[in-house]
Amino acid sequence: MAARGASRRRLTQSQAAFVLLLPFLATYALFLVYPFFRGIWISLHDWNLLAVAFNPDAKEYVGLRNYERVMWGRNITWGALASPALQIIGVIGIAASIFLRRMGRVSKVTAIALGVASVLLFVLPGFHPGEGGRWYDRRFWPTVGNTLVFVAWTVPGVTIAALLLAAALNRETKAMTVYRTLFFLSQILSVTVVTLIWQIMFSPRQGLIANITETFGGSPIVWLTDERFAMAAIVITTIWWSLGIAMILFLAGLQDISKDLYEAAALDNATGPKAFWYITLPNLKRTITLVIVLQVILQFQVFGQAHLMTLGGPNDTTQVLVRYIYQTAFRDSELGRASAMAMFLFVIMGAFSILQFVVGREDVK
Amino acid sequence: MNRGYYWLIIGLAIPAFLWLVPTLWMVSLSFQPNEVLARTTSTTLFGLIPIPFTADNYAALFSFGQTPMWFLNSLIVAVGMTLGVLAVSTTAGYALARLDFPFKNAITVICLIGLMVPEQAVFIPLYTMFADFGWHNSYHALILPRMAVPIGVFLMMQFFKAIPQDIEEAARLDGVTWLQIFWYVMLPLARPAMMTLAILTFLYAWNDYLWPLVSAQRQEFFTITLGLASIQSNFAQSEGLGRVMASGVIASLPVVVMFLIFQRYVVQAMTVGGSKG
Amino acid sequence: MKHLIIGAAVAATVVTGASAQEITLGRFFGACEDAGTDTKASVGEACIIQSIINAADAELDGISITTLPTDWGNYYDQIKASYAGGTPPDVHVMHRHRIPEFAGLGALAEISGELAAAGIDPNDWSENALAAVSYDGGIYGVPMDFHANLWHVNMDLMEQAGLVADGKPVLPTSPAELLEHAQMVKDATGQDYLAADFAQFPIGVRLVLALMWQQNANIFDEDTATINNEAATNAVTTMTQLFDAGHANPQLNYADSQQAFLNGEAAILVNGTWVVDFYTAEAAKAEVGLNNYYVADFPTLFDTGATWADSHMWAIPASLEGDKRAAALNVLAFINDHNIDWARTGHMAVRNSVLESAEYAALPHRDEYTGTAAIARDTPPSERYGAIQDVLNRELQAIWLTGKDVGVALADAEAEVQDLLDR
Repeated sequence: MAARGASRRRLTQSQAAFVLLLPFLATYALFLVYPFFRGIWISLHDWNLLAVAFNPDAKEYVGLRNYERVMWGRNITWGALASPALQIIGVIGIAASIFLRRMGRVSKVTAIALGVASVLLFVLPGFHPGEGGRWYDRRFWPTVGNTLVFVAWTVPGVTIAALLLAAALNRETKAMTVYRTLFFLSQILSVTVVTLIWQIMFSPRQGLIANITETFGGSPIVWLTDERFAMAAIVITTIWWSLGIAMILFLAGLQDISKDLYEAAALDNATGPKAFWYITLPNLKRTITLVIVLQVILQFQVFGQAHLMTLGGPNDTTQVLVRYIYQTAFRDSELGRASAMAMFLFVIMGAFSILQFVVGREDVK
Repeated sequence: MNRGYYWLIIGLAIPAFLWLVPTLWMVSLSFQPNEVLARTTSTTLFGLIPIPFTADNYAALFSFGQTPMWFLNSLIVAVGMTLGVLAVSTTAGYALARLDFPFKNAITVICLIGLMVPEQAVFIPLYTMFADFGWHNSYHALILPRMAVPIGVFLMMQFFKAIPQDIEEAARLDGVTWLQIFWYVMLPLARPAMMTLAILTFLYAWNDYLWPLVSAQRQEFFTITLGLASIQSNFAQSEGLGRVMASGVIASLPVVVMFLIFQRYVVQAMTVGGSKG
Repeated sequence: MKHLIIGAAVAATVVTGASAQEITLGRFFGACEDAGTDTKASVGEACIIQSIINAADAELDGISITTLPTDWGNYYDQIKASYAGGTPPDVHVMHRHRIPEFAGLGALAEISGELAAAGIDPNDWSENALAAVSYDGGIYGVPMDFHANLWHVNMDLMEQAGLVADGKPVLPTSPAELLEHAQMVKDATGQDYLAADFAQFPIGVRLVLALMWQQNANIFDEDTATINNEAATNAVTTMTQLFDAGHANPQLNYADSQQAFLNGEAAILVNGTWVVDFYTAEAAKAEVGLNNYYVADFPTLFDTGATWADSHMWAIPASLEGDKRAAALNVLAFINDHNIDWARTGHMAVRNSVLESAEYAALPHRDEYTGTAAIARDTPPSERYGAIQDVLNRELQAIWLTGKDVGVALADAEAEVQDLLDR
């Protein structure tokens, strides 16, 4: 054995680590770290995509002006009742988080998360243009709002559907395996196949939904260009598409719950829905939180559905943040502004990533 | 099995069928002639059954369609990205999990902090970077950026941490080098995690729309997502609904088949990944 | 001996090195994968242009062409991205209204000095065509057509409503008459009077623009946006009165509105010159609802005649050099030579020799819309016209799809267009 080692140089642990780490660190530095900081740098410039491509000096340093032009406005004031519905919910949320924490019903982390969210809900919608004022970018905040609405509909939709399905399909029989496969199938389709299918499904003239409605004598809904239904259309599409992985995660979580708990409950005559409520759900808390946070991160990045199905319309009602960033960069050629918006997106997603990390850690103890 | 179970099976049949309907409809439309579809899609049972039937759309796809080329590109990019991610993630993951070296904690934090950065926060600067070097319209442009995302490293790190230390100690006593331990001992053990990572990366690559949209400007580098997107936006100007649907079917078929064959591994992989992640 | 072989190999490479130039060509118009090379037999924009391209690929020695078809909506995003990424297509089609943006940045090649060598005669181009490709004293492209908005008419429905005289459709001469005629069609046939893509592409914008021009107004004047005014309001309400009365459906997109017309569910389709041959071919089919098809000039509803028009042209990037540049110009020349084939789509030709030819005059329906060339008007020039059109599209769609108040929408549009003009 010694002979084998003697003829070649043996690496120390540090050296071996260096060799092993190098490929990743090089790629990481080059394609994530550097671009990230460069993105910040771009956001500080007035940078026209085409102009700079032809003349590298055409960009101009403008400091934080892009951020101001995107997120702020002229004569913006704050009012506690500017957006009453949202702000009142925010106040209730703050109260609830304090109350529930006092009662010990939720963990510290959940209480803090709820509190922070509620404070934001109270503060942010309060900003509005005062007399003679206006937002510099009339579309930015509504776009953020649309994205939030989309997430607010999709995440619960996917989570609840996946949870119920996982609970129903949690048996090792042939039939159940077949069903699981059927429900998971939609997840592996690529986003543009999904938009292709549903674009036609929703078409008032050629769509399956329209065909069925007409047969029963109704008049078809023009889903994708009707402002009442466009958001619903992309939400339905996304729930159909995103069910798979959530369902699998719930199945994994369900399998971790010990059978004895159910047997003990059965002795007390608590089966079916009762068992689900009192045993399954509490034991799934960690998985549920994980699924929710993962889905929020995923759905916040929505792009394909809005870009290909509704084109952000009608009247911007389904315009989402990533699409707005893409259009600002490649349609309006405004790289600086687009980068500023991308930084905003990063801050939000970063916050949720931290949340996911903290939540994941919390239950390990 | 009790009666409740059978009611469950029956009760689930309807939602399962409904869930399958959109895909079935796409397949059915792909087998109907374009002229008929231009007027109505509802010929037989709302269009769910392909009568009138034709295989022309598929024949057309293979004789002069772009779809096979797009499909091949997606395959190359997905396989390349998967291999690349596996390579960098297993190596870095093991080093961070089990080896000792100066500044280890700092480097770990630096690596993992990248988890917070979404694709959309860097795609614009990446775009300008690649443009400056003239790297767009190439496979490496499509593959490299994702290799920098530390999710793979994180997954492998978690996995390696869970392996008992005795194995390495025994090997070290035998005079095996660290690199040899990694290659001959750890990698084989890591197969389940590697499967998870491979599947997740493959699906991600297959699905990616935003980055290929801005990076691939030449058709010969279009991935299947891009290609399908380019023909679906305006049906009135494309060759017909049937042909477009056939493209969608061809785009999905291999992935579906692959999934059906490997589904046990997929589920296993998700389970392992999910409970460890 | 070795040197001899190597020398021969090098010589052989040099001689055959000037072999196939690979030209990449970017275009919209849709995909037509089985177009073939017979430029006289193809039907529809997509297939005609692809057959011309395929023919060029086959007939031009030493040139092979790869087409990069893109859907219309995303075309300019992709072209911009490709320019910015350093790999623009060697030859690409453009609209006239985009020239200020691209030529202004130096993206396009100025080719006035090279036309003769490639076999293109700029003197054969009509005056308007030459003006369309000129910018700042130079020529930046080879024109291919003028296209304008027309009223495509279903004569059977009009006849049932009593709106046909002398074999021609009776079209309104004022907004009030428009509503009247619409009512007549609805009463007689139960169908919508008018269909158009109000929900997707900026066709609705072009309608409103034309109606504003008919009142001698425009959306901006040099550096001032003039949108929130009576002319614009009149233009918009002319359309919304039809929506409110149920004589037109604003929720249909391009494909759906076209299909409605072909199915015989609307008497009039407002669309462009680019579909004349397609609709003619469709009308000839027994199973298609449309039978008697007529092509009319956009009617004058206000003071003077006007209809939206634009022009397609082919350009090459300024970065193209040497053999490739020559090859690209040859491709442009080929397309120019086939102007009569392209005109078969319904577009108006740009070459005097073609305009005066018998073949052109004999094209189906051509004599029905001869007036269009006279009333065709260009959009006002601006580097940011693309963005301006997007703003208008959004605000107008807000009015007729979401019921936004006309005054508020026009005011918002004016503010945003002013922002764009100010930048």
